[in-house]
Amino acid sequence: MSLSVIYALLFYAATLVLVIGVARKIAIYSKTPQPLKIPTTPAPLTTSGVVWRMAKEVAVFQSLFKSNKWIWLFGWLFHVALALVLMRHLRYVTEPVWFWVNWVQPFGKYAGFAMLAGLGGLWLRRIVVDRVRYISSPSDHLMLLLLMAIAVSGLAMKYVDHTDIVALKGFMLGLMYFDWQPLPGNPLLITHLSLVLLLMFIFPISKLLHAPGLFFSPTRNQTDNPREVRHVAGWSAK
Amino acid sequence: MPGVRIMMRVAVLLFLVTPVWAGTPVPEIPKGKGQQCVEDTAMMRTNHMEFILHQRDDTMHRGIRTKKHSLKECIECHAVKGDDGMPVSVESPKHFCSVCHRYAAVSIDCFQCHNSKPEIKLTGDRNGQ
Repeated sequence: MSLSVIYALLFYAATLVLVIGVARKIAIYSKTPQPLKIPTTPAPLTTSGVVWRMAKEVAVFQSLFKSNKWIWLFGWLFHVALALVLMRHLRYVTEPVWFWVNWVQPFGKYAGFAMLAGLGGLWLRRIVVDRVRYISSPSDHLMLLLLMAIAVSGLAMKYVDHTDIVALKGFMLGLMYFDWQPLPGNPLLITHLSLVLLLMFIFPISKLLHAPGLFFSPTRNQTDNPREVRHVAGWSAK
Repeated sequence: MPGVRIMMRVAVLLFLVTPVWAGTPVPEIPKGKGQQCVEDTAMMRTNHMEFILHQRDDTMHRGIRTKKHSLKECIECHAVKGDDGMPVSVESPKHFCSVCHRYAAVSIDCFQCHNSKPEIKLTGDRNGQ
């Protein structure tokens, strides 16, 4: 089998694992009982207040900012940069390319470096801070290493050894149209794609899955109305 | 298991419908004049920007004027004619550069200063006017 066929099949498998895996986890989260009324106070008194609180958590990581400025700085830097980089990558899967994806290209380019800086800071924290190093498992280090390797291989294609991105886009669109096109065999590109595939496979069973988890955190998603409304959920409902 | 049977049917249906879908959009890269570009095709596809920028540095900073990697020569060989028989500018999606650069969302600033159309060679008559 040629490289193109192997990678096409791997991408289909990885997409299935990612989508089904994350959906399954979200289903499990949604079925997990939240028997107690435990919003961290001061907490919003209305549902719209909860939406606002959650929006702040998603956009600026408010709780993290309150608890640790360094982790917040590196973590937020990484996530915002990652968002820009992902937006930039949309050019490979849209034809014609959406107008705002054109606008985001130059920002996404430099976001690659910001992403690496954020990840570097987070990794340094796991190595340098004694009490954090003590509780860091091998997977914590390997996850950061994987993300950094993805960023480095991507940046290397941009700044060191170019790849035929027109042919690459043909390959990616070919997967979506079920009309396979050849994958350019540039070693850096193959490395980059292989690492991304690995990330897609392990994402649903890793701690990188904290994004959907946030929405199911009782201390964040509950309204502070225990006297107005009787809280019945899970075993407390029986 | 009726659920499984329905899923199988949907899978078969989707499989049958698939070939009807349009093929993958890939750019049709127009052929230039002559047999071969100044470097081999795969090399040009991935590294043309490096050649052009290197040529610019040689020309602008060091005063070495050669033709091999000159943008003017790219335009000369790769010009695409529009419906009116005249070479199209970079504004047109048919332009040699635009075909791929639009596809890959890579914006270029070459043509803010440079001409994206080959120079028209004036005939004797016109020169005499």
